[in-house]
Amino acid sequence: MASHGLAYDGCNFFRQRLVLSTLSGKRVKIKNIRSKDDNPGLRDFEASLIRLLDKVTNGSRIEINQTGTVLFYQPGLLFGGSVEHDCNLQRSVGYYLEALLMLAPFMKTSLKATLRGVTNDPTDPTVDMLKSTALPLMKKFGIDGEGFDLKVVKRGMAPGGGGEVVFTCPVRRTIRPVQLTDPAKIKRIRGVAYSVRVSPQMANRIVESARAVLNQFIPDIYIYTDHMKGANSGKSPGFGLTLVAETLNGSFLSAEMSSTPQGQGDPMLPEDLGRNCAKLLLEEVHRGGCVDSSNQSLALLLMTLGQQDVSKVLLGPLSPYTIEFLRHIRDFFQLMFKIEVQKPSEDERKGGDKVLMTGVGVGYSNINKTIK
Amino acid sequence: MDGKVKEQKRHQQKHSGPKAERKKLKKQEGSTEEDGRKRNPKAFSVQSAVRMAKTFHRSQDIKTKKHHIPHVDRTPLEPPPIVIVVVGPPKVGKSTLIRCLIKNFTRQKLGDICGPVTIVSGKKRRLTFMECNNDINTMIDLAKVADLVLMLIDASFGFEMETFEFLNICQVHGFPRIMGVLTHLDSFKNNKTLRKTKKNLKHRFWTEVYQGAKLFYLSGMVYGEYQIQEVKNLGRFISVMKFRPLVWQTSHPYVLVDRMEDLTDPERVRTDPKCDRTVSLYGYLRGTHLKNKGQVHIPGVGDFQVADVNFLPDPCALPEAQKKRALNEKERLLYAPMAGVGGVVYDKDAVYIDLPASHVNQQQEEVRPTTELVQSLIDTHATLDAKMAASKVSLFSGSATLDSTDVGEPSGEEGPREECVWDPNTQRKRRKVVFTEKEEEDVSGSSDDDDEDDDEDGDIDSEDGDQEEQEEEEDEDEDNLSTFLIDARAESDETEKTVTAYPPAKKQKVEEGKKRREESAEVPAFADSEDDLEMSEEESEEEGDNVRAGDSGHCSEEDEEESDDDEEEDDKEESEDESMEEDDAAGATMKKQTASESEEEEEEQGGLRWKEGLQQKASEAFLRQQKAAPNLRKLVYGSVVEADDSDDEEQELGGLFRVSRPQNSKKSQANGVDSSRFDPDASHNWDLEEMLNSIRDCFVTGKWEEDQDAATLLKEDEELYGDFEDLETGKVHKGQTGEQDQAENSENDEDDAADDDDDNEESLVKVDDDEVQKKKRLEKKQRLKERFNAEYDNEDATYFDDLKEEMQKQAELNRAEFADVDDETRVQYEGFRPGMYVRLEISSLPCEFVTNFDPHYPIILGGLGSSEGNVGYLQMRLKKHRWYHRILKTRDPLILSLGWRRFQTIPLYHMEDHNGRHRLLKYTPQHMHCGASIWGPVTPQGTGFLAVQSVAGTKANFRIAATGVILDLDKSVTIVKKLKLIGYPYKIFKNTSFIKGMFNTVLEVAKFEGASVRTVSGVRGQIKKALSTPPGAYRATFEDRLLMSDVVFLRSWYPVSVPQLYNPVTSLLLPAGQKDSWAGMRTLGQLKHDLGIRNKPNTDSLYKPVVRAPRHFNRLHIPKELQKALPFKSKPKQQQPKGKMPRDLQRPSVIREPHEKKVAALLLALSTVHNHKRKKAHTAQHAKHKEFLQQKEKQEEAKLKRQKEARKKLYRIQGQVDQKKSRSSLKGAPQDD
Repeated sequence: MASHGLAYDGCNFFRQRLVLSTLSGKRVKIKNIRSKDDNPGLRDFEASLIRLLDKVTNGSRIEINQTGTVLFYQPGLLFGGSVEHDCNLQRSVGYYLEALLMLAPFMKTSLKATLRGVTNDPTDPTVDMLKSTALPLMKKFGIDGEGFDLKVVKRGMAPGGGGEVVFTCPVRRTIRPVQLTDPAKIKRIRGVAYSVRVSPQMANRIVESARAVLNQFIPDIYIYTDHMKGANSGKSPGFGLTLVAETLNGSFLSAEMSSTPQGQGDPMLPEDLGRNCAKLLLEEVHRGGCVDSSNQSLALLLMTLGQQDVSKVLLGPLSPYTIEFLRHIRDFFQLMFKIEVQKPSEDERKGGDKVLMTGVGVGYSNINKTIK
Repeated sequence: MDGKVKEQKRHQQKHSGPKAERKKLKKQEGSTEEDGRKRNPKAFSVQSAVRMAKTFHRSQDIKTKKHHIPHVDRTPLEPPPIVIVVVGPPKVGKSTLIRCLIKNFTRQKLGDICGPVTIVSGKKRRLTFMECNNDINTMIDLAKVADLVLMLIDASFGFEMETFEFLNICQVHGFPRIMGVLTHLDSFKNNKTLRKTKKNLKHRFWTEVYQGAKLFYLSGMVYGEYQIQEVKNLGRFISVMKFRPLVWQTSHPYVLVDRMEDLTDPERVRTDPKCDRTVSLYGYLRGTHLKNKGQVHIPGVGDFQVADVNFLPDPCALPEAQKKRALNEKERLLYAPMAGVGGVVYDKDAVYIDLPASHVNQQQEEVRPTTELVQSLIDTHATLDAKMAASKVSLFSGSATLDSTDVGEPSGEEGPREECVWDPNTQRKRRKVVFTEKEEEDVSGSSDDDDEDDDEDGDIDSEDGDQEEQEEEEDEDEDNLSTFLIDARAESDETEKTVTAYPPAKKQKVEEGKKRREESAEVPAFADSEDDLEMSEEESEEEGDNVRAGDSGHCSEEDEEESDDDEEEDDKEESEDESMEEDDAAGATMKKQTASESEEEEEEQGGLRWKEGLQQKASEAFLRQQKAAPNLRKLVYGSVVEADDSDDEEQELGGLFRVSRPQNSKKSQANGVDSSRFDPDASHNWDLEEMLNSIRDCFVTGKWEEDQDAATLLKEDEELYGDFEDLETGKVHKGQTGEQDQAENSENDEDDAADDDDDNEESLVKVDDDEVQKKKRLEKKQRLKERFNAEYDNEDATYFDDLKEEMQKQAELNRAEFADVDDETRVQYEGFRPGMYVRLEISSLPCEFVTNFDPHYPIILGGLGSSEGNVGYLQMRLKKHRWYHRILKTRDPLILSLGWRRFQTIPLYHMEDHNGRHRLLKYTPQHMHCGASIWGPVTPQGTGFLAVQSVAGTKANFRIAATGVILDLDKSVTIVKKLKLIGYPYKIFKNTSFIKGMFNTVLEVAKFEGASVRTVSGVRGQIKKALSTPPGAYRATFEDRLLMSDVVFLRSWYPVSVPQLYNPVTSLLLPAGQKDSWAGMRTLGQLKHDLGIRNKPNTDSLYKPVVRAPRHFNRLHIPKELQKALPFKSKPKQQQPKGKMPRDLQRPSVIREPHEKKVAALLLALSTVHNHKRKKAHTAQHAKHKEFLQQKEKQEEAKLKRQKEARKKLYRIQGQVDQKKSRSSLKGAPQDD
């Protein structure tokens, strides 16, 4: 067969490549993975991701060379089903979950994934944030219905982990095109301040300081405190805050911050954390758009995999991750988006420039799904 | 009766009274009371609720049955020509029909029908005719791309098998419109038989297609052609026909190739005639959008990656103006390059049809020679191209692409008018100069004729070098072809040609540059295409302007890096693709120089046109640069034109330039942390009030837009609904519209007053105001109308209507979104639209494709969706065709037609048991569906397929062996077949036995521990444990004691793996004339037949005469003890036969003397007589005795009777006496009383 693969260098954007490869059926070869590093080759968390991919697919071929600097991946069919995975503690569950969110609607059978590991850490989007932003976003693309859920069973902070998340997602044959061009105004702000293995008072302190910042804009703020105890509290102490701003049109912008992991860097005061997180939310609002900055790539992917119809989505400034993702989409699906910058008019006070992404779906249909 | 009928009473009309009045009334206003419902409401009232419900149900059912799932209408505005496939057995009149139809539409005669023929048939319709020969491969391929099938049937012969085969093929691959055409009707002499045949054929056709399917009759030939009127009618039918979208066709792009060019370097072909060829294929794109670099399948050849796609001007364009009713002669175009028709000029990138004004009368033969000439020219052209490429390679051995890009880019930006704004990025130019000069020299050396245009040649500048070269070429061409090339075309041709010299990716830029040059006179050079934006941005960066200030944080990560080393960062950001920017700032001066150089050069070439308005352009550019939006597209995708081959380019260039350059930044990025989190912009300080203010309006508490603000909306409502009359109070409320208008007017007046001093201004403003007012009114009207429409339509809007409306909206959006974008850019966003005339370049086609090319066979490029290029296991449902006379055997190779593909594979047939087990079948069932598993190309579920045993030759029988549908794409197939393991007991204890012979090792036994076994006689048991010796023996327990003669067996299921054979049918690669003789893997039966192998049957399976040994039963032995205990009755008797008489007891037999014999005989006679006498006497005695006995009995009877009588008498007397006695006693008693 003439289907030749794609080749990449370096381990960055590792997930994107594997996920897009799985969805497009194109094989991919990644070379020079940390080849100049003192500790060359794939890290444990990447190996763990590969293992997870192997669990949800059927018939994939994965070849890694001796040193782990070269990876060859030939995707199989997405199978889904009930999957349990112990995520590596170097990265949080969000790292794995982001990949799963992209794959889950295109499986053969609906996915029920139980992921264990670190639920909240500062590097990746936490599960709370994905729950509050990614899921509503996917609903707009027609992925909803019964069994579309993300549940935090146990909370585990870095570095110890011990958290557990259950993600269930139904399968879809086709994805709906969307027109998300108007984010509308923010009507309420919600949030979760969580704390585990520390004083429950921490959460309250966070809430107070965060409210102090946000109250200048809108009165409808409610931040839940979530203090988990005992078996549900994981292995390490920590606390954090996730803030979500909901607009009138049902798009969600979020920001989050969690305490520095135990034994890594300076400890953080909950007040500072609350304030900084609130400012992050303001930053996110300033960026604006219909999709949160960390979910841009998810939205773009779902636009790509839609029917051959025009989809539009208004984003804030593109993150480097998204930019790379766009390039990858072009590599894997030969799709380019029309990118238009929308500048705010002078008298408007709506934050920075927005980007209107327009694209025609590639007419992807989930061939894994069985027709009954 | 008196015969006279009694006269009846006359009817007397009433002239007065209520009845008469009623009648009068009726007569007068009868019309008003027409409505029965009003007049007689009772008659129309609900009689039965049930009945009403039923009728309602029924009407609703009928209504819903008409609904189809609404689809988004994705048909392009200018659809591709309709593919009309003319099918039929040989000698039925296919070519004649096509010829007649073409003549009917275009007034042109076509000799040989080779390949697709495209014509313009009407204002909005084009047709592509394709003849389908009798090869089943062709039939399969064409059925997949046909929109309309003209099925020719020889009426004098009747239906032939091919017709039915084709119909079945159509059914499987989506049913295109089918129209039957009966020919050879003139061979019927008898009118009645003609009618009868027509009717019979029609009805059979209807059962196959659908009731009422159109069947055309072509009654006879006139001078070798069908009758004009009939052809005209057929043409009319075709041109008004509507088509239903077919699922496979609308979800895949495809091209029916109407032209093929071999682009391979002739030198390579010469050295290695079997080398892979690079071929460009041309045709109209159909189906759906085609992406560049996609995968295609060419049925009959294989899967290929498209190296490049570009669209060409339509060679058979629809007429421009739509106003007039009919087409004029010039617009009746005909395009059939494979048939070599119509003075077609072949160029690499453009197609020209030259139809002289008097083409109607022109014969094909006249055109031919020119075509040949052109053909020869093409060949030389290709050679030149190739040579140019070769020369480049030889010069720069390290980087072939390098120089090609180099050549490409400068000419892309070549419009030197822009140079004054542009000069900073001349780095490229420097290199270009070097390369092109060399190349030019080289090329000119190699090219045959550079003596022409010497004057130009001398001045040829570096950048236009190769272009000039092309021009030269062109000029030469023109000389030769001047008879049929219009000047204007030549000019555009020039651009096209230039384009061809460069790698395809460059084309866009080049052309844009050209366009710019051409348009420069009237339009400022900076067209509003994205490229210009890029350029301006580049430039601004070079100048040190920090555009990134306005970047608003896009890609902040990279920005940070930038601060470290500006120059390199610039390169990096431009990036990945901006190959030429590698050089450092030192090169800038160089650039300047070269820029000026190129300017001069341009002057000569461009005839000073570009200089017009130079100043103005410069200032404009500056302005633009000032407010240039950060060009995100470039940031993301790199330079647009180069987008496609960015990667290779970078690498190649890296070989030349990047060696010395540390790639740390790049590397660190390549191995950076993979996180989707977007760190905030450090420049934003959220403690500052202005920062906070900048997002105030994002919240509901902030300021609202005009059209969303609650207050304004309220006011609007007031305007709309403000007027009402309070019915209770009778008060009339007025909306504020009038007042508001007044207010506005007054405001305007005030404005006017303010502007009074400036008269001109004032008038302008006035006009503006009027317009504004008008606009406002219009807007208001529009809003009202929309609202009304929404309300009106929504009255009985169902879910279906909503859905349909949604689809409609999406379709509109799809159309509108890219409508105003130019095609070059548009194809990058949405791919190539169906309806475009495209050229696809495919490298590495097998050489047989070119050498054995036969235009009579269709070449189809079928686009494949994502992951449809992979091969995997497929599960299908399959049914043997009811007309195929044999059943199919598992593991016999079968040729499937699935999706675009035809391939041979080995299916396994299976059935699902009630417990979900898929068990292997040896043969397909006769009249039932069964499952089949194959190893084949991944194809979406629900796709139909058909199977044939062989595609070679034509057989008398029906060739389609089976049909079916894809059910699942699953790599974990679990087909099992039954396996019985047999063992024998070798030691039997009570219920336990040791079994051997079933397994070979202890391990095997261990795997089956606990498995249930059974004997043939039905004794069940279980495997317990392996025994050490003999290997493979085990202990098993049974529910009863076994016999040594028992056979123990274990029933198990053995998984069968699907054989991985996927063998595409490469029928197109076969030599011409043998294309229908493709033979793949043979079936087992064929192999045996061909090799003359006969199976040795198992001798045990043979029938032998039954020989039965006589049964021998042993004596019943009863133990002595038991015998003793038995009752006598049951005790065994001495049953022994007497045995032989002992010798001593045996007596010798008596032998009589003759005398003794006589004596004995006499004695015997005497005794016989005596015996007889005695017997007689005895009988007589007996009879006498009997008589006596009878007599005695009689006497006895009489005696008894007498006695009875006497006794009776006696008793009577006695009775009487008793009576008397009792009576007297009774009498006496009363006396006593």
